[in-house]
Order: sequence, then structure tokens, then C-alpha cells
Amino acid sequence: MNKNMTPDNDTNPMDEILKRTLQRQEAPDGFADRVLARLSERRSSQKPSLRDSWLRFLAQPLVRWAALAAFATAMILSGHLHNLRRERAEGEAAKQRLMLALRIAGSKLQLAKSRVNEINAGQPERPEERE
Amino acid sequence: MREKMPKKMLLLFLLLASPILRAQDTKIPPDVEKLSARAKETVEVTMDGPMLRWASKFLSSEDPEEQKAAKVVANLKGIYVRSFEFDKDGAYSASEVETLRSQFRSPGWSRVVGVRSQQDGDNVDIFFRLENDKMAGIVIIAAEPRELTFVNIVGSLEVDQLADLGGEFGIPKLDQKSLSKAHKGDQR
Amino acid sequence: MAERTSADRPPDIAQSDFAEIVRLHQSMVFSIAQHFLADRLAAEELAQDVFLQLHANLPTLKSEAHVTFWLRKVTAHRCIDYKRRRKLPQVSLDDAPEPVAPTQSADPFLARRLRRFVASLPEKPRLVMILRYQEDMGAEDIAAVLAMPLATVKSYLQRSLAILREKVTRTIGKVTI
Repeated sequence: MNKNMTPDNDTNPMDEILKRTLQRQEAPDGFADRVLARLSERRSSQKPSLRDSWLRFLAQPLVRWAALAAFATAMILSGHLHNLRRERAEGEAAKQRLMLALRIAGSKLQLAKSRVNEINAGQPERPEERE
Repeated sequence: MREKMPKKMLLLFLLLASPILRAQDTKIPPDVEKLSARAKETVEVTMDGPMLRWASKFLSSEDPEEQKAAKVVANLKGIYVRSFEFDKDGAYSASEVETLRSQFRSPGWSRVVGVRSQQDGDNVDIFFRLENDKMAGIVIIAAEPRELTFVNIVGSLEVDQLADLGGEFGIPKLDQKSLSKAHKGDQR
Repeated sequence: MAERTSADRPPDIAQSDFAEIVRLHQSMVFSIAQHFLADRLAAEELAQDVFLQLHANLPTLKSEAHVTFWLRKVTAHRCIDYKRRRKLPQVSLDDAPEPVAPTQSADPFLARRLRRFVASLPEKPRLVMILRYQEDMGAEDIAAVLAMPLATVKSYLQRSLAILREKVTRTIGKVTI
């Protein structure tokens, strides 16, 4: 990762200064604890209401019989569920390809845009370092 | 002679119309597909209408980038991308790129951007497909020293929204370096 | 490649494991935000949001390197979003303002001034500079994180350094390093 990128020999002192200037700073004290606290808060704000409502619902007798029937149906349909999961995974993969295509197209539009901006600004072409 | 005239007219019409027909219907020109043999890495995405609609169902409404993508693809009929990376300069010729561009210089197509950079070697052409004075598609041909990208998007879209996605620092699911294998678009 | 979705996510990652990940990467994330925003409070809030988002996405990340890549990328994305939400005007590289500093004598607070100069750069060149000098990343890696053409990254670096050099010399005078 640490590649020599100094554009020219004069910038070495500047490189060192910039590295010192922009070196990582310690996160504020207690940062990790605050992140974990927010995470717990997020979880606990969801749990009680969901849990309470389910407990009340399942206490009803008719609901219990319905739950047994549902369980039996679920066993029979487990193969179907497996197919659904596979379809979901395939869908996610297709979505990733779609995003990839859009990003590629978008980045080439950005490239054209930046070139047009350079031309309009009358910027001289700059030599590029070839790999 | 009189009987031969209609046949000659028909032949002439077909010859003149063939570039138009070719450009209108071709998703990825054969000239582009051939480049894959010379490429070090190829990224392929082929999505027709049904596949596009299916994939877009999985776009999350909670992810800002995917929300933007959903707006872009809302009216699209297809997306076809071929992006080739080569291991040296000059793997393809300027005339090959010019031949590709010429397929989109015909009625029904309008070149809106053509940028040439002699210093950097980056050339980008953007063509709009028009139907009844409305945008019905976009083709982008980006030729860089070691990369050639062809994008064909069929349907109407907001170009700015698409450009935004290219400049977005999106949440990756894959490391860019792990895109070493060709991604084949599947057809359903 | 098998894709994992939130529906298939394994049981919650152990609190201690996630805490360890946060401690390992907190200075990187906080520093990118701090150098970009030049506002400690905003930087901490942004950094916290990044880690909360990381927690939701962790099962989909494949390796330690991917986590680092993801964090840099999302932090950069959120920095840009933060600025745009506040509708701050964007400046071009050549219009980046310089602080008022008429003194020509050697300035003992060079680092502070340089930080201000960097913070005055336009958003994308600023991020490129931060990733280059804070994270010691090469141009290709920066281009991958920021989803930017390699040529653009190099261009931003060259121009930003030229401007910084000029402005440092102009406002501080020649500084012996």
C-alpha cells in the first residue's frame, strides 16, 4: 500500500510535513463505549414492544392450535422455503451486478464531465505518470 | 429494367438502413465482444427488461445509493456493460474504436459529448438515442490506454442521476480488487 | 459467489468482538472525519454513525482488509454527505481560500496552518490528500476506495500539493525543514 507517490523530487519535505500534520489522531476518550451504548439503546428500544405483543398473542388457545397447524405446514413447505432463500440470494447477486453496471456507467460519465470541465477552464493537459 | 428497379431500390434501402438497424437493435456490438479475448480482466453485465425489474426489487429503500439506483432504473429496458482491462497500452487500435463509434452516427442517434485527451489518452463519447425527440437510451464509449468500456443503456433516464452513482463512494459488498473474474450476466 | 443477506445473518456478533473492532479502527475513522470536517464534535458523531452502520453490515464483510476498505469508503461517503446536507458551496481547486497570514517569519504552528489549508481544499481533493497522508495509501488504493479514476486521483494530488506549496510559501515564507 505504501507506494512512492511523490510527484517530483522537491516535494519530499512537504510529504513528511503533511504526514505529520495529517497523522491519525486518537479518538476522544470513551468513544468505543459511546458507540456500544448507542448500539444497546437501538436494540432495547425495539425489543420490549415486539416481545410483549407476541407473548399476548400466543397466550390465546385458538392461536395455539393455529400455531400447531402452521408448524405442520411449515415442515411440508420447508423445501419451498429453501427455494425462496436461494432465490433471494440470487436476487441479491443480481442486484450487485446491477449496481456494478450503474457505477461503471456513472464513473465514465464523471470522467467525461471532468474532461469537459478541464477544457472549459482552459487547463493545460498534464503529463500522467505511467505505471 | 423497370422490373429490376424496385429490387435495386430495396437493396439500396437495406444497405443504407443497415447501420441504423444495427445500432438500434444491437445490445453489445460484435466488435466489442471480440476484445474480451485480448483483455486481462473483463467485467460483463447483461440485463434485459425482466432481469432488470427482478434485480431492482432487491434494491434497498434504506440505502441512499440503492435508492438513487432505483430511480435511475425505473424506466429502463436494459443495461449492457462490457469493460475490458488490458495489460499493456495499444491492445486495441484507434480504428477499432472509430469503427465502434461510427455505428452510432446515424439517424436516431445524437452524439452529445466527444472528449479527446492526447496527453492522458482518455477518450469518451456519449451518444443519446432519440425517439420522437425523447431520450430512449444512452451509449458510452470510454477508451483509455489500458481500458475500454462500452455501456449501452436502453430506456429513458436522468443522466445526472446516473453520473451521481459514478461519483458516489458506495458501500461495497466486494473489494474492487476481488473483481478479478468475469461477471456473467444471466438471462432468465 | 454466495451472497449473504440480513435474513441469513448469524446470531449477533459478540459484543466484545465488536468492541474490539471499534477500538482497533476508531482513530482511523475519527481522524478521516476530523481532518475533513475540522470539527471534533461533528467528527465524533459521524464516526459513531459509521460504526453503527458497520455493525449492521459486518456479516457481509469477508476479511480484515475488507473491513478496513469498507470503513474508509463509508467514512469518506459520509463526510461528503455531511457537507452536502449543510449545503456548503463547493470550491474549485484553484479557488481554495488561503488564511490571512501576512507574516513572513518562520511560523512555529506550521502543522496547524497546513491542516487549515487542507481543510480549505475542495471535498474530493481533500479526501484524496487525507487518505494519502493520513493512511499512507497509494494512488490505486485511493482510487478504489473513492471509486475514482486513477488519473483523477493523481491529478488531485499533484494540483493540491502545488497549491499547498505555493500558499505555504506565500503566507509563511520559506521554511527550513
